[in-house]
This record gives sequence, structure tokens and C-alpha cells, in this order.
Amino acid sequence: MARFRNKRGRAPAKSPGMKKPPGVNQVTGEKVPKSIVFGRGKLPGHLKQLEHDLRKLMLPHTALKLKEKKRNNLKDFLNIAGPMGVTHFLILSNPKSIPHLRVARTPQGPTLTFEVCEYALAADVARSQAHPRCPQGLFQNSPLIVLSGFGNGAKHLKLTTIMFQNIFPAIDINTVKLSSCQRIVLLNYNSETKLIDFRHYSIRLQPVGVSRRIRKFVQNHQVPNLRNLKDVSDFVTKAGYGSESEADEEAATVNLVSDLSRVNRASTKSAVKLQEIGPRMTLRLVKVEEGLCSGSVIFSEYGKEAIAEEAQGASDEETED
Amino acid sequence: MADAATADAAPPPSAMGSTARKRKLKRGKSQKSNKKRKPISMASKKPKKPSQKMLKLFRKRARDYHSDEEEDLDETGDKKILEESSGEEEEAHEDSDDSGHDDEFSGSSDDEGDGAQQGITKFTEGCRAFRTAFRKIMKKHLSNDPLGPILSANKKLVAEKLAEEVEEQKVKGEAKKEKRLAGEKGHVMPANFLDAKEKFLISVATKGVVKLFNAVNKAQNPQKGLNPSRAKDAKELAKRRKQAFLSEIQKPSTQSYDNTSKLNSSKFSIPTNKEDNEESGWAPLRDTYMLTSSKLKDWDKMADPASVDEPESRHMDSSSDED
Repeated sequence: MARFRNKRGRAPAKSPGMKKPPGVNQVTGEKVPKSIVFGRGKLPGHLKQLEHDLRKLMLPHTALKLKEKKRNNLKDFLNIAGPMGVTHFLILSNPKSIPHLRVARTPQGPTLTFEVCEYALAADVARSQAHPRCPQGLFQNSPLIVLSGFGNGAKHLKLTTIMFQNIFPAIDINTVKLSSCQRIVLLNYNSETKLIDFRHYSIRLQPVGVSRRIRKFVQNHQVPNLRNLKDVSDFVTKAGYGSESEADEEAATVNLVSDLSRVNRASTKSAVKLQEIGPRMTLRLVKVEEGLCSGSVIFSEYGKEAIAEEAQGASDEETED
Repeated sequence: MADAATADAAPPPSAMGSTARKRKLKRGKSQKSNKKRKPISMASKKPKKPSQKMLKLFRKRARDYHSDEEEDLDETGDKKILEESSGEEEEAHEDSDDSGHDDEFSGSSDDEGDGAQQGITKFTEGCRAFRTAFRKIMKKHLSNDPLGPILSANKKLVAEKLAEEVEEQKVKGEAKKEKRLAGEKGHVMPANFLDAKEKFLISVATKGVVKLFNAVNKAQNPQKGLNPSRAKDAKELAKRRKQAFLSEIQKPSTQSYDNTSKLNSSKFSIPTNKEDNEESGWAPLRDTYMLTSSKLKDWDKMADPASVDEPESRHMDSSSDED
């Protein structure tokens, strides 16, 4: 059996489900989608790290410290899925040393199999940034999801859209608090290359129309360096150089309903800034199966002759499991 | 002759009893060591020096011991042993004469001196020789040979072995490297700057966020002063929401379906009891719904794309219509 390492630690993660957070549909009392991320087969170190990053991405309705063992098979995970209320499986595997991600709905399926063409870990992304950002409550709420480019009507794309929309709790815009929207997951489908770009950003709001210096001063509460200034008033009047993304900011401004923080007041305009937190993946939808990692193949990237072959491979995999 | 006769008679017991004597000797030595140890514990009680009798015994044993050695070295020379044993006896007598001198080593060294004359190196001399040889070896300046100091005969063999090992290591290392590369397949390091693609993706995501925030703003602005946890306000909110929903439904555009359903999925459960004679708006709200459309006659035979559509439309995530 797959075990949760600290059951005590999981309790608070479960409690918001009972309390009906704004993510839950309050009239129908719809279940919060929960997911577990695990690997099948032997994963190299980087993929293990990716697994952990994905778990973090799926927070809070996931098992961050899921302890999996070599002898755990899919049935074990399925067995705990019922009582735990797990609705989605994210399964990482590395067949023929090509990393694959399977997204499945429990207990009936369907299963989407993605080939992970490229990936970068959260640590890699953070390393590439000058100022990686991780405020305290970043992972306390589930991310928003933006799906873009899936609208050309193909059935498998529709299925992908539904699957990913249901993986995170739905948002009721009448009750949602904007302060709980801290992260966003973007899936962008490129119809030419048939690749899906998977990105994970943190959302930051900045007041618009305030010079950088003053903003920093208000945010940091630190005594600014006035050595280069002739007069104190220069600190306010000198605008400094505008950033390159200033032009984009015009489109990305929002009016806030309520005060979000000390800096972002309801009365002021705020700019939406996104900063990547990773992991970053480039996925290719390879196969759609009807059941949970089994069943008839609805869609296959490699044509119909591959379907039979892959069905055989899938059955092999099952026996492996 | 008499001497020789006695000597002839004497060796056999010595030869016979050599092992026994050795054992005895060992025992004696252990006794001695015991004695040596004892004085430390009880210093004053027992005399430090062994008695004359004991000394004699020791000396005799030492003599026997040496004679045995020489037997080992030169087994055939019975006569020599005889002579030596006699000589030793003489020496022993001399030793016993100067009683204070109880050192066995002096006797033994003399004995060996005799041996040296017969082609055996002295112990001290051998020690010195060994020392000089050892020093010579230690002083030797080693060339920077990777194999280190080894005997020349082994040199080739060792070199071969080392080369083999290196080969093995190489193969192993390559296998490991391959494995690591295979494990790293697909793993890429992100660039330090935002390229066009990343910028595009960020802009798409930003658009989505802005859309959501604006929608939230629009939805929550009228309810600003109301607290949803208070029953009175909650009622008011529900009322407003219902109104908004119905007005959205009755909008003449076809787009309205999407918008309302996005707004809140819960409202689907609300019975649409409001009669409306307008021909515009959502089809089910019309009076002629189901009567005019021939499509819905065999509704039970149709595949259900609606069931697929429904969960998609429930979500207020800026979705497929973004592109």
C-alpha cells in the first residue's frame, strides 16, 4: 500500500475541504479535486525532482510527502484514491528513457499520456533568475489555470482542456478572494508543432504610476540611499528610467475590488506581473486511453497502426505493474 | 677417550631430550619473565637475584639451547658439537667463577664468535649489515615511476594489470555516463533571459489573469458593502446573483450561454420559471422550445456532446476561447 508519511501533517491540508473554501461550489457542495503525483518504474534523479516540483505545483490538494515504494502498483494507489477522495493521478514514468507524464482521472479514466519533450525543474528556473520569488503563502491556494490555443475543435484537445480544468478547484468569481490567486498554470497549445507548453507562474500585483524608488521604499521599509541626491525632493521627483515592460503594463492593469495588501489598494490601479516559478515542461499528447492506464485507445499521435502496438505495450506495462 | 666415551654417551640424551628441554626452557623463560614481572608488584619481599643453583641451571639450559641451534645448522657434525659443548662447559665454569656476571648473552656472543669463524655472521655484524642495507634502500632516490618501487621482474606484470584496470574503468565510466545522459534526456536549463517565446507565454498568462481579475471586479463590485457571512446580506447577494443570471440568460446573443455558464455553475439548478414571450435568448426559455426543433425529436439517440461540454463551461478559467 502506498502510505502517507505523516498523517498528522495531512490533516490541516484536508480541513479546508471540510470548511468549504471559496474554491468549493457552495450550493452543490462539489468535491474539491485532489490529486496525487507519483512515479512508475525507476526514475532518474531529475525526474524524481520533477515529481516533487509537480507535487508542489498541485498543492494544497495533493499529497506532498507521498511515500511510494517499488512494489506499489497502480492498484494500490487506486485503492487509497477512493477513501482519500483523490480524483486525479499524475504519473511520471521513464520508458525507454523518454520521460512520460500520464494524467488520469480516477477511478474510471480517461488517461492522457504526454511525452515530456523538454523540462526544467523549479530549481533550474530559480537559478536562471536574478531574484527568484517565493512569498510565504504562495502554495497555500491552488493555482489558476489558463488554457490557450486548444480551441480548434479536435476531440482529444477538448478532452485535454476538460481534464486540466478539472484538476484544480473551480473558482466562483462572486466569492473568490483575489489575495488567494497567487499562482497560475499556463498550458499553451501550439497547433503547428502540436506541443503544449506547460508553465507555472506566480502572480504579483504592483501599483501603477508610482516610481520604482517609492514603491521599493514603501515595500521594504528601508532607509533609501540618498547620497547621490542633492535634495530630498529629488527622491520623489526623479522618475528614474522606465523599465522595458512599461508598454506591456498598460494592458496588464487591473482595478482591485478590495485592498489586496498594504501597497495594492482598491482605489489604485495595479499591474499584474508574472514571474515563473517552474517547473517548465514541453508536452506532446501521445495517447488518450479510455480507462485508467488501460482500455481502448481513443487517440494516438502515431496513427492507427501504432494504436494496436501501443495497446500491446500498455498491456505489457500493466503486467509490469 | 673416556671423555669421548662420555661424550658419545651424552649426546643421545641431549638429542632425545632436546625438545623436552626446549619446552623446559620455555617454561623457564616464562618463569623468568614472571619473576621479572613480580618484583614490580612486590618489590621488597623476594630477592632480585636468582640463586646460584638457578643461575647454573639457566646457564646450562642456555648452553643446550645454543648447542641445539648448532645441531640444526650442522646436523652431521657430532664431533664439533662435542668440542663446542666441552668448550662451553669450560666457559660455563669460567662464568660461574665470576659469579656476578650472569649474563647469558656474553656467552652466546662468544659462542657466535666461534660460529663466525666457521662462516656464520655475527649477530651484531648482521644487524649492522641489515641496517646499512636498509638505509641504502631508504636513501635511494626514487624516479617518478607511476608503478612505484617494485621488483623489476614484476614490473611488466603490474603494468599490464594496471592497464587492464584502466580499460575496465574506462568502459565502466562510459556506461555510467551513458546512463546519466539517458536519465537527463529532455532536461534543459532555462536561459537567463526571457526570449520571445517565454514573453509570449507570459503575456498569454497575464491576459488570462487580467481577464479573471476584471471579471471578479465586475462581479464583486456591487456587493462591496455586503458581508456574505451575514444571513441578511447573503440573501441580498443571492437575489442579485439570480437577477444577474437571468438577465444574462435572456440576452439575445448566442454568446450569452457561455458567459452565464461561466459565471456560476450552481445556477443551473435554479428552475427557470420566468415566462418570456420573446423569441430571443436561450432556447430552452422560449415557449416553443422542443416543439419546433426537429432536431430534438430523437434526443435519446443522439450522442451526448452536451455532457462533455458541460464541465468545460463550468469553469471560470479563461479557456479555449482565448486564442
